[in-house]
Amino acid sequence: MLDDPKLDVRFPAAPPAPAEDLLGELRGGLDVGDERVREFLSAFGKLLLRPALARRHPELGSLGFFLRPSELARTVDGLANEHVRVPRGMVFHIPPANVDTVFVYSWALSALMGNRNIVRLSPRSGAVAEVILETLHDALTDADPVIAATQRIVSYGRSDSVTAALSAACDLRVVWGGDRTVQEMRRHPLAPHARDLVFPDRSSFAVVGAAAWLCAPRAARVTVAEGFVNDTYWFDQAACSSPRTVFWVGAEGDCDTARADFCEHVSRVVAVRGWGVDAAMAVEKRVSTYGLAADGLAESIEFRGNALANVTLSAAAAAPRQWLGAGTFAHARLGSLAELGSLVERRDQTMTHFGFARAELEQLARELGGRGVDRMVPIGSALSFHRVWDGFDLPAEFTRLVTVIR
Amino acid sequence: MSVFSPAEPERMRVFTLAEPQREVALVSELAALTERHRRACAPYRRVLDAIQAGPPYERLADLPWLPVRLFKTHELRSVPEDQVFRVLTSSGTTGQRPSRVYLDREAAAAQPRMLAATLREVLGGRRLPMLVVDSRSVVRDPTLSARGAGVLGMMNFGRDHTFVLDERGRVDAEAVKGFLARHGGERFLIFGFTFMVWLYLRDLGADLSQGTLVHSGGWKRLAEQAVDNAEFRRRLAAECGLTRVHNFYGMVEQIGTVFLEGPDGDGLYCPDFADVVVRDPETWQEVPVGEPGLIEVVSTLPTSYPGHVLLTEDLGVVRGVDDGCWPGKRFEVLGRLPRAEARGCSDTMGRS
Repeated sequence: MLDDPKLDVRFPAAPPAPAEDLLGELRGGLDVGDERVREFLSAFGKLLLRPALARRHPELGSLGFFLRPSELARTVDGLANEHVRVPRGMVFHIPPANVDTVFVYSWALSALMGNRNIVRLSPRSGAVAEVILETLHDALTDADPVIAATQRIVSYGRSDSVTAALSAACDLRVVWGGDRTVQEMRRHPLAPHARDLVFPDRSSFAVVGAAAWLCAPRAARVTVAEGFVNDTYWFDQAACSSPRTVFWVGAEGDCDTARADFCEHVSRVVAVRGWGVDAAMAVEKRVSTYGLAADGLAESIEFRGNALANVTLSAAAAAPRQWLGAGTFAHARLGSLAELGSLVERRDQTMTHFGFARAELEQLARELGGRGVDRMVPIGSALSFHRVWDGFDLPAEFTRLVTVIR
Repeated sequence: MSVFSPAEPERMRVFTLAEPQREVALVSELAALTERHRRACAPYRRVLDAIQAGPPYERLADLPWLPVRLFKTHELRSVPEDQVFRVLTSSGTTGQRPSRVYLDREAAAAQPRMLAATLREVLGGRRLPMLVVDSRSVVRDPTLSARGAGVLGMMNFGRDHTFVLDERGRVDAEAVKGFLARHGGERFLIFGFTFMVWLYLRDLGADLSQGTLVHSGGWKRLAEQAVDNAEFRRRLAAECGLTRVHNFYGMVEQIGTVFLEGPDGDGLYCPDFADVVVRDPETWQEVPVGEPGLIEVVSTLPTSYPGHVLLTEDLGVVRGVDDGCWPGKRFEVLGRLPRAEARGCSDTMGRS
């Protein structure tokens, strides 16, 4: 087994180095909400918002927006209380390989909280990660030297010794990217005082009030359909916050009519955007949907070309949690929102919704009592990152409290 | 698994039907099989119901197909559990579950009989002395690999089995020399996986001109070395005098059915009880001759499980219809469709 103990240092760019050297040269000295970090992150965010770049990679636009000064200030201000808040220390981040922007959200919030950070970027990371690294270097030119002294983004291949060394040295280890990654990482012990913040496999669903859909003006329905397509097709519907099942809430007739209209709109958006899937994905969708039918979970399967497949579930309780391929949606009917109570599982993360009042949603959240669902956001916002994610208040997780009583 | 019973009935021919007659015969048989499996296999029935598939089926391409991978994820059988005579499993590549194929007594008997009839077309009716381009250990391993199972299956068609490789995987020149001393002047059978044949047969420096080579197992590793079928055949002829070369294509999910390369190397041919449909993976319609697409294999042999119409994950192209040395379609396998990969936020370290 290849086990090269050297890391590829990608930010700030430097020659490959062993983990010990990296840990040795990493300096502290930042405060929670440090002005120098805020300046750097704002400058970096501004570069991401350059029109040419944001046009080419819309996800970088969202990231730039997340890093605007007012948002950073809000994040820091939200932490004020009677305790003295201090950085957690050294944070080791293991972001997912395939959603290129996640590492920035995780790292930026941690840096903003004054931590030293080492981010392990997968060697398989894509083109967008390269653009991000370039932009970080651009922003570094005018940044305070403390940024370069406290922050590192590295890559390394399959090396247990590096992972072990970084795990042993950190105060907080942040693991994104699924059950297997979490299990894999847990083989490497942390220091006794340190802890893990993990983001295992999750799945998500959408809920639509049928009557509300039918009453909504056409323009609103088009907008929701566009949002739904963004939520699902952007990462081939494999992002954990992309919905897989759509629950229709209301009377049977209303639900049928609303669903038919919804699918028509979604189909049109998919066609207009030119979303397609390749042959392998098309086969994948056949395997997964036929499999649902064979198991008795799918009553009917409708393909609108390869890009859109709609599965009618035989029962709402049959909602699939596994990935079914890009643009594959299971549909089921619920008499009321409350029926979700018995269906939700711990791994359910994001509930995108349309047609419900805030009070109804809050009541559902209380009824679910933490058994599942961490986010209830409007359809179209499934992929929008927020500093509270998977039920964790990340800025709080990235800091510690010192009690001072006099 | 005895293939040639001593009292073999009159030689059955399986490369006789021109495409129009073949299609008529197969459509009605396969339509009947579809309804039979629909009645007998509940998961299959539920799939057909969900996609609203039903007769009439006028052309082969009208028949509803199952993705072949479904045999890895589901138990699909059309006979009661107590009538299952044999369960076949495929190699589970890259952490996948293997396919499971359920045979009752009747299907288990038909499958080697039809395989024998197919291969007899190029091997003749008698068991030939047989050279195996592999090591004996592949058939001894208690957890029989797909390669081992393939070798073991083919060994039924030969006698005086001689392995080209020793137990440690090195060429056993003495064994080959002995074999050729005994049989080199008469017709003999050579079997091996395509890549093994390429690796080891050419180096033997032996005269194999009386041999008939049957090989299978895909071209991926050879394609990486820029060796295609024409080059493969040319070099074997030039370096070993081997001119009777037959590639074949088949899968455990349609056990007993092999698509066999004709003597001229101009494509794979379908036995009378089978056929292929090449589909456009965008429209799912059958593509015209000469256009590549996904290979669907149909066969009347799967009577105990709904494997009679299967969409493979192989790309292929029909090169001609009723225009070669044998009647029916002749086609070429172009390689595997690369697997779809989720771009989601799962499993990063594990796979990197």
